[in-house]
Amino acid sequence: MRRLVAFLLFIIAAIGGHALTLHLVPSVIMDTAQSRLADQGLPLHQWAASPRMTPQTQTIVRPSPDLSYSVCRFDVRDGPVLISAPGWDGYGSLSIFDDRTNNVFVANLDGENAEVLILPLSDKDALITPDLADKERVLIAEGLGLALIRRVAPDAQLHEAAVSLIDQSTCKVIRQY
Amino acid sequence: MKSLLFWILSACLGAVVGVISALFMAGLLSVGPKIGGTVDVGGWTSDWSIGSESANPYVRARVARHGLLALRKEEAVYFTKSTDQSGNPLRETCVYRVEGSRLPATWWSITLYDSQSRLPMNTDRKLSFDKTKAEVTFGGDVAWLFDVRPSAINNEMPWVSSRGADEFDLTLRLYRPRADLLDDPVSVLDPPRITRLSCDGDDE
Repeated sequence: MRRLVAFLLFIIAAIGGHALTLHLVPSVIMDTAQSRLADQGLPLHQWAASPRMTPQTQTIVRPSPDLSYSVCRFDVRDGPVLISAPGWDGYGSLSIFDDRTNNVFVANLDGENAEVLILPLSDKDALITPDLADKERVLIAEGLGLALIRRVAPDAQLHEAAVSLIDQSTCKVIRQY
Repeated sequence: MKSLLFWILSACLGAVVGVISALFMAGLLSVGPKIGGTVDVGGWTSDWSIGSESANPYVRARVARHGLLALRKEEAVYFTKSTDQSGNPLRETCVYRVEGSRLPATWWSITLYDSQSRLPMNTDRKLSFDKTKAEVTFGGDVAWLFDVRPSAINNEMPWVSSRGADEFDLTLRLYRPRADLLDDPVSVLDPPRITRLSCDGDDE
């Protein structure tokens, strides 16, 4: 009897640990990424451009030297977040990732601007001012997320031009909770 | 009391086994199975799970680890090759010619990475070849070629530098690929060919 109970406890704990680990891995990985960006001095709700990727500036594995990257950390627990990015002459995209690394939104920036309103599931019917009523909306389950802009910029001049577009990009809470 | 300790120990052991087996199955340890789709087109391989939505929790965990912030497949797909047409590893001590034809994407690039998945530590500013360079050099992207070599030579041939890379691979990125490529990459992609021209000690 004693051994049977021990065996059952072993099996139950193994199944529970297995399932819980698989469930938590994406969140832990995104938390780590958020923490690293915060440690590098990137505050919430502010776009920042990465330096041009060269052998000397690379900080991640397999960086693309042909792309310009800009990133913004956001938190919908502070309120609905409006994210926008101007278009680009060439390949470009705006991607939104939730706190479980899911790519919940992507927009084309090839010659066209992109704009999206990020709302928490708990406030999906948030009262939005009339000027924002027609914006595309994305719902995310939890608080923190990442917005990422990629633009093809294979030389230094194009990279500078891509970085300069940060001033025309938006990543802000539009109504504080 | 002894029984209680025995049961607690059994539960703890079970939990540890559960955690390790999950990490193993999801490919998050240095060894383990790779659940999900690998595509191989003429030796150019791609993890077809990255950038796609999967309900499989093992694939989701692996993609979170190895494809963090990756673009959706509709936005970009990646293929990597680490051998030449004869199956020999790509080495800094050799010179290669890479030839290709029109690729099914809005824009593409081919970048060289060393065995640590880093850009090689050199200052040649020849890290990649792309569609724009093909169009400028060859008047279009119908047919193009470039060399991979550790140093420049005095000719007009575009090149990518392998200086400082030791053993390396080439990664082909296809931005906004055509839908038929996503459906059937093996039939649609005409993979670039990597031919070894010479190695140290050979007559170039």
